[in-house]
Amino acid sequence: MKRPLIIFIAVTKNWMRSKSGVFFSILFPVLLLLVFGAVFSGGGTATYTLFVQNLDRTTDGKPTNMTTFFVDALNSTETFNLRDVPPDVDATPYARDAVGPLGGNIRILIISKGFEEDLVNGTFKVRVGISYSTLNTTFQYFAPYLSNETLIATEQGIAQLGEYYTNMTERSASLTLIMDSSDQSAGIVKSIVMNVANAFNYRLIEAKNVIDFEEEPITGVRQFKAIDFYLPGIIAAFIMTNGIVGVTSNTTEFKRRGIIKRLSITPLAKVEWILGNILSQTLLNIMLTVIVIAIGWLVFGVQAIPDAISVVLIFLGSVMFSGIGMTLSGIIKDVEAASAVGNAIAFPMMFLSGTYWPIEFMPTYMQSFSRVLPLTYFSEGLRYAMIYKYSEGILTNMIIISALATAFIIVGSLVTRWKEK
Amino acid sequence: MVEVVVEVKSLLKEYGSLRAVDNISFELYSGEVFALLGPNGAGKTTTVEILECIRPLTSGSATVFGYDVTKREDVKEIKKRIGVLPQDFSALDKLSVKENIDLIGGMYEKKLDTMEVIRLLDLEEKAKEKFETLSGGLKQRVGVAAALVNDPLLVFLDEPTTGLDPKARRDVWSVIENLKRMGKTVFLTTHYMEEAQRLADRIAIINKGKIAVIGSPPDLISQYGGRQVVVIRKADKKLAETLHEKYGGTILNHGGDVIVKVDDVKEMWQILSTLTSMKMDKEIDIQTPTIEDVFLKVVGGRITEEGELK
Repeated sequence: MKRPLIIFIAVTKNWMRSKSGVFFSILFPVLLLLVFGAVFSGGGTATYTLFVQNLDRTTDGKPTNMTTFFVDALNSTETFNLRDVPPDVDATPYARDAVGPLGGNIRILIISKGFEEDLVNGTFKVRVGISYSTLNTTFQYFAPYLSNETLIATEQGIAQLGEYYTNMTERSASLTLIMDSSDQSAGIVKSIVMNVANAFNYRLIEAKNVIDFEEEPITGVRQFKAIDFYLPGIIAAFIMTNGIVGVTSNTTEFKRRGIIKRLSITPLAKVEWILGNILSQTLLNIMLTVIVIAIGWLVFGVQAIPDAISVVLIFLGSVMFSGIGMTLSGIIKDVEAASAVGNAIAFPMMFLSGTYWPIEFMPTYMQSFSRVLPLTYFSEGLRYAMIYKYSEGILTNMIIISALATAFIIVGSLVTRWKEK
Repeated sequence: MVEVVVEVKSLLKEYGSLRAVDNISFELYSGEVFALLGPNGAGKTTTVEILECIRPLTSGSATVFGYDVTKREDVKEIKKRIGVLPQDFSALDKLSVKENIDLIGGMYEKKLDTMEVIRLLDLEEKAKEKFETLSGGLKQRVGVAAALVNDPLLVFLDEPTTGLDPKARRDVWSVIENLKRMGKTVFLTTHYMEEAQRLADRIAIINKGKIAVIGSPPDLISQYGGRQVVVIRKADKKLAETLHEKYGGTILNHGGDVIVKVDDVKEMWQILSTLTSMKMDKEIDIQTPTIEDVFLKVVGGRITEEGELK
């Protein structure tokens, strides 16, 4: 064990004295943390610009009462920055001009002419329908207890109401939402507008909620902030990047400069060289994790501090990704190619492994693909360990990571050339 | 009896259709400095790396201290006993001279005190300096120090002075001379004629993978270097005729110099006595053949400063 330790000390010292190396190694995870922290720290709520063209006007050109209430209801969500579009213009070019060339996506809500009247009539038909349905149900229930005369009279009355309801004209108020197909917020905007419209519908027929909805955190899980849920992903991502990009580039550079060749002439075995490098990388990752969490704690007050089991996972993850790095550097000959290949593997993996968003958000075939990526198990394991304290999940991922780490060390040893050709 | 340290027999190394080392045989004896002299691509480094156990051979055999370079268990024994300065030696940039030597020393079970090696290479003042701050010559000295830290019996120095300025080159030469004084066996590869002639007890001239000649510098020079030459600067035609009558083979060159080729020291003294009796006050230059002349004779070309065959 003496030789791996000597390699570990030398490689670590060499890295720690490289100011630019240390700076960029720290910069990447800290930037990730600051970006995610800034976006998800809850410092503000998202607002969406929504142009509203109200075509339902009174004879003197003012918006009708119902449309005014509807626009007020939209405003009360505090989600929209509402901008009025005059009724006599083509709304789309008007909105485009208003936002300008750099203004981003446009969203336009057109309240159709006759909105108020259609709403009143539509609501009346709904009310009649509810009355008919209620009477019919009640009648069916009490029919056995009624006298024959009462039964016939009531049945006729309900039938007449049903006929009246059937003959009523079907009318409903119309809203049109115009949005860019490329607008990533389109779904959110549509959902909010529909919710407001539904709430408006219920209020008009004076319906009340009969289903109570309450939200509670999972038992035993501390009250974390949004950034806490991203922290395991951020840690997993930079450990993966350091292994796949950092180890691959550094080792290929050592190879190019003949340092590995020089060491191979000594009694050092290649597995000892690999172990020394992996140990060094692991120490670097643990140090960076401490720095990232310290900054996260100071700036955003993160609470997801790794416990002993998380540290074990970080160790295993470092070993696994360093093993992948050693494998790649054993295969790739020149430094430029090593960096390019490392990045080509690391970046897709970073975004397809459930690190920054749940795997369930991705299409099914992508979800299957993400299940073969080592980072999926590492970030999932860390999230279970740091946030959910889900023992079974931690153990399962830990076993998978350990197996992959062992496999990559073996493959790395096999493909690392200790002899020239 | 002289101990054989390295024994190479019919060594062949092929890369596909390219024959880098072509059926060479030689021996290296304990305590000698042996130089493998040849241009770039001649097969010097390939030969050395086979002996260092970091490159497999295609056929033939090679032993170091009697251990076979192709056998795994023997390789361990060889690695314990050899020190190596590889071509284009490099080390960890951010580590100091001492730390880099410690790193290599740490790979061996038995090693010399690092400071002792540093003193030996006259690197005490630079011991704490980072490797990246050193000049090319100092870096090579660190490389030699690293090669000596395990107190090896045999030291391989692969192109130790390539790319160095003349002063740095002479510094490395004095280090190699010290190694010889210490009784180390040194295997040197070089494309510098002067270096091989000055440092080596025996030289093997290698070209296109084949060893052309092998022997001590005096033997090679006497066998292939041609005759010594006495040059009388700015002499007249009459002197040339006089010397020609007495010794033959005299020519007058374009610049007015008279050149007399001599067969041995006795003949040279006779010419010098003749010139003295004639009370000549001309400048006299005695030119001795060198390894360069040997190389020219056996290979048919010269090696440029960059190591290319011309």
